[in-house]
Amino acid sequence: MAPRVVVLSLASDFGCQVQITNTEDHLLTILGLIELSYWQLASSGHMPDEYDVAIVEGAVTTDEHAHLLRDVRGKAAVVIAIGACATIGGIPALAGSGSLADRYATVYGDGVIVPAVRRAPAPVDSVIHVDYHVPGCPIDQSEFLRVLSRVLLGLVDHTPDMTMCGSCKIAENVCFFDSGVGCLGLVTRAGCGAKCPSLGRPCTGCRGIAPDANVVSALEVFERAGGGADALRSALDVYNTASEVHV
Amino acid sequence: MFFRMIEKERLPDLIRGLSTEFEVVGPVAKGDKFVFAPIDDPADMRLDYDTTILPPKKWFFPPEETMMRFRVADNEVVDDEVYAPPRVLFGLHPCDINSLQLMDNVFFGAYIDPYYRARRENTLIVGLSCVPSETCFCNAWGTDEAHWGFDIFLSDVGDEYFASIRSVSGAELVDRHVKTREITDNDTRRFQERTAAFKAAFENHVDTSQLPLLIDAKFESPIWDQLGEKCLACGACSMVCPTCYCYDVHDELEPDQTMGRRVRTWDSCQFKDFAAVAHGQNFRDSRASRIKYRYYHKQWGYLSKFERVLCVGCGRCSRACKAGINPVKVIEALQTGVVS
Repeated sequence: MAPRVVVLSLASDFGCQVQITNTEDHLLTILGLIELSYWQLASSGHMPDEYDVAIVEGAVTTDEHAHLLRDVRGKAAVVIAIGACATIGGIPALAGSGSLADRYATVYGDGVIVPAVRRAPAPVDSVIHVDYHVPGCPIDQSEFLRVLSRVLLGLVDHTPDMTMCGSCKIAENVCFFDSGVGCLGLVTRAGCGAKCPSLGRPCTGCRGIAPDANVVSALEVFERAGGGADALRSALDVYNTASEVHV
Repeated sequence: MFFRMIEKERLPDLIRGLSTEFEVVGPVAKGDKFVFAPIDDPADMRLDYDTTILPPKKWFFPPEETMMRFRVADNEVVDDEVYAPPRVLFGLHPCDINSLQLMDNVFFGAYIDPYYRARRENTLIVGLSCVPSETCFCNAWGTDEAHWGFDIFLSDVGDEYFASIRSVSGAELVDRHVKTREITDNDTRRFQERTAAFKAAFENHVDTSQLPLLIDAKFESPIWDQLGEKCLACGACSMVCPTCYCYDVHDELEPDQTMGRRVRTWDSCQFKDFAAVAHGQNFRDSRASRIKYRYYHKQWGYLSKFERVLCVGCGRCSRACKAGINPVKVIEALQTGVVS
């Protein structure tokens, strides 16, 4: 029996769900391998009571999200977190870089009270166990397909743990540090083929800090060339505020 | 081997001539750096290049290659052909020519690698003399000279190239595509002068005396921990190394899950999962143990098997490592006990 799949979104811009839609060449093939029970972006129905695989996009920003996730974990045999928001907190997590009350005051004006249900934004695995991760902002379609293939075959999650520089060398990019420009590839999880540096932009860290990164040494590299420690900190803020790495 | 003189202004004739029979790959500019890439116009070839980001190994052992395609239903291999077009690698410096011979020891060892072999057999090498850059230390290993491993080698002696022609194919191509003249005693003198000037131009002078013994004696040295603290564990050194040959192999299925491919990709001993095995064990869990392993393999392990160190002094890792780790400094640290 084909696995019953639901696709749902927490705090995000739905960009990763759009990326799934964009896998046009293979979309019908995928749909032939699964039973799509619910797709928040593309369907007007409701979440069914039973399903096997939950694909979750977005960061946890409210108690309701946390309740939903616990419910999902209770029902789904497999949970896949997709995109920077779901895997590392991503851009929504910027709201948690200071006190939530200060953020509310800045955005909505003084005197606005933070609703009690709001939380500092956090990735999905801060609430429930996640079986598979598809990092990136947005996700890469072919990586999503490879992870889906692993899910269907019952293989374990295999997100690369090393940093980006090796793949950036393979792409034969001229290193940004050589011209004094900081690049987060130094600490960011590999797997995208160093897409942004290949297009002439420094890595912004959307895939999260690599488990094998040497952040202390990277800090020294940033101090020698690349804007110093503050540059590294503010660059990391964009996607990695929720990560427990302090520089 | 025989020798000819080729006027520099006639070199485009040779490149154009080669292009009629081969895919010609040579050094071209990328930003303020260089890469080996297919050449359409001889004018794009930058024979003044210092070094390239990636070494020529990618033309024999690509960063990612499909080894075979297979059908899931019955596990049958449906395609394991190697794509190996007739190709000329033009403008390889002596370090890179030597590096290919070190790779040959491995890929043509007890188990011949058919993928590497197909490309190696279909590729001609045209070497080119160079000027040492600030990161070059090929003089430490004697890889500043290439005596074989090429079809043609061009030594720049001013307005002409002193061409050493090593193979029958090289001789035929030179005959067919470019006007040459016989060498004279004066030409060999110019060649010797060029060689002397080249040798004198090195900034780096690495003392490699008794290095294999020294590295063996320093197995427990704290320098490895200090290097481990600096190492970014990014694997850039391995990717840009002309003599790093380690690879990983995995299978992946196409989206419909009925067909798959077996893929080989470059790997690095600096990656944590390199020495990870079943049951969560890892023989080299720490960065210190991994960087130590890298140097022991290159300066000791390979040497014990092939009587050559697995380094040609090209300096690419010195350029690639943002933490400032390179063989020159590591050898210095082995000698002084201090990591600079």
